[in-house]
Amino acid sequence: MAKSGSTGSRIRERRLALGIRQAHLADQVGISASYLNLIEHDKRPIGGRLLGRLAESLSVDQSALSSEVSEGLLDALRGAGAAHDLDAEALGTAADLARRNPGWARVIVRQGETIEAQARTIEALADRLTHDPALAEAMHELLSTVSVVRSTASILAQTPEIDANWMGRFHANLDADSRRLADGAEAVVSYLDSAVAGGGDHLTPAEVVARFLDANQHSFDAVEEQGAAAIPDLVADLTDPRARRLATAILEADAQDAKRLPRDVVEAATGPDDLLAVAGGDAALVLRRLGVIDPARGLVVTDAAGALLRRKPVEGFPLPIVGAGCPLWPLYQALSQPGRAIVQTIEMPDGAQWVAHAVAAPSAVTRFDGVQTLRATMLLARAARPGVAFPVGPGCRVCPRKDCVARREPSVLPGAEQMEGAGSMTKVPQQAL
Amino acid sequence: MTHDVASSAEPAADTPRRVLLIEDEANIATAIAFILQREGWRVSTHSDGATALEAVDRHAPDVVVLDVMLPGKSGFDILGAIRDGRRPDLPVLMLTAKGQTKDRERAEALGASRFMTKPFSNRDLVDAIDALATARASAGE
Repeated sequence: MAKSGSTGSRIRERRLALGIRQAHLADQVGISASYLNLIEHDKRPIGGRLLGRLAESLSVDQSALSSEVSEGLLDALRGAGAAHDLDAEALGTAADLARRNPGWARVIVRQGETIEAQARTIEALADRLTHDPALAEAMHELLSTVSVVRSTASILAQTPEIDANWMGRFHANLDADSRRLADGAEAVVSYLDSAVAGGGDHLTPAEVVARFLDANQHSFDAVEEQGAAAIPDLVADLTDPRARRLATAILEADAQDAKRLPRDVVEAATGPDDLLAVAGGDAALVLRRLGVIDPARGLVVTDAAGALLRRKPVEGFPLPIVGAGCPLWPLYQALSQPGRAIVQTIEMPDGAQWVAHAVAAPSAVTRFDGVQTLRATMLLARAARPGVAFPVGPGCRVCPRKDCVARREPSVLPGAEQMEGAGSMTKVPQQAL
Repeated sequence: MTHDVASSAEPAADTPRRVLLIEDEANIATAIAFILQREGWRVSTHSDGATALEAVDRHAPDVVVLDVMLPGKSGFDILGAIRDGRRPDLPVLMLTAKGQTKDRERAEALGASRFMTKPFSNRDLVDAIDALATARASAGE
């Protein structure tokens, strides 16, 4: 198969070569024929799981359908390079590397991901050490016992004239405490072993659910087709009951959303505005549905404290795994103006422009003196045409912008200082504010 | 709950200064008491957090060595009560196995005179207690 042309045209070429009708292929992969038509004519971006399903139906490797070098691979390569101090010139050769040596490029990316995963494991274990009461208690016991052994051994070693009664007493204490120390050490090792053996057991329930959602690209055919009845089977593999409950709650909300705004209606829309009327003006519902269904769109949901409750990344717009996002995102602007629908073009540090739709809405109340919570939702899609855009970032820890007035912590990217001026807030166009 | 530790560890000073050791681990209390007695301290030990303040009033120590994790009441609560009560100037050395920054900060905020983490060296502990007592005596002159 020729490795030229857009992804859409390759799908079309392959389908025609196999003599498959558009409607038939669309039915096979679970989308409407009109949506497939839009994909084939490059009017809808495609990637991830849907591309995988199409590749399977067309009996071809997914890589043969995608563009020569996917943006995801390029982003990941550049990220891996930046994490190891590659300068801007070297980072600029990422596309060439990926084009010439795609296999090696993927190895580099996988290694980068492994390193990141291990760093997260360490972070999670450190967090557990701090907050897990069981481990904290075990460590306290261990350190207390070490302290007794050390003090007692010092006394015996440094007090040659000690009388026989005291010596006997300290020997007995040392014997008992050394046994206690051995038991305590064994208990801690066993505890840590079980955490490692449990795979993702060192993750918090929220992290487990985030991985679960990411693995499914936040879209579940069964939920779309069967509603909440499909959820128990979907979450059955989550061994942590807390993670299972959390995932169930999220999917139940998705099922309710799907009932109110069915997938075929969403797929036929060209953007959020097309859906507002049918959604009864519920802008947050529109943004959630587009975010969940369209693989080319990103979705972020936050609470009033700024914590990311749902983060569906999209190629080119990395979302922070830990901590909050960029305070300049329209998402947070929406929080200060509940009910106001916001649309804004934003620009990431790599120059890519995105259209962000955001809205904040309070939760429903069941009684007048009940507590209401506020949630903001933001939908991300690549801007069709470059224009005036508000500079933002992916979140301070992974943002290379310098001199940003909104920065709350230093970037962990070694190359951040090399991007001087790229994100100076003096560049913020006033009309964008 | 409170015990005056027998002086068979041969005190080295003529006028023993008094230290109250509030620690629920019997073996560590025994070891610390032994070390301090050899350095001339008169040592009382107390193992219960809930009644620790009464022990402070009863023994009128020159220095208190206070563990953080105690049954009945935490070392932080006891320290807060000492500082809020009639002994705001009483030297208190906090002793804990939880050497976390937040514990140290909390102890300092509550007015701990010194903070040591387990495991510690016997010499460091004795020196710290001596220093606290000396500083207090100098301030009282």
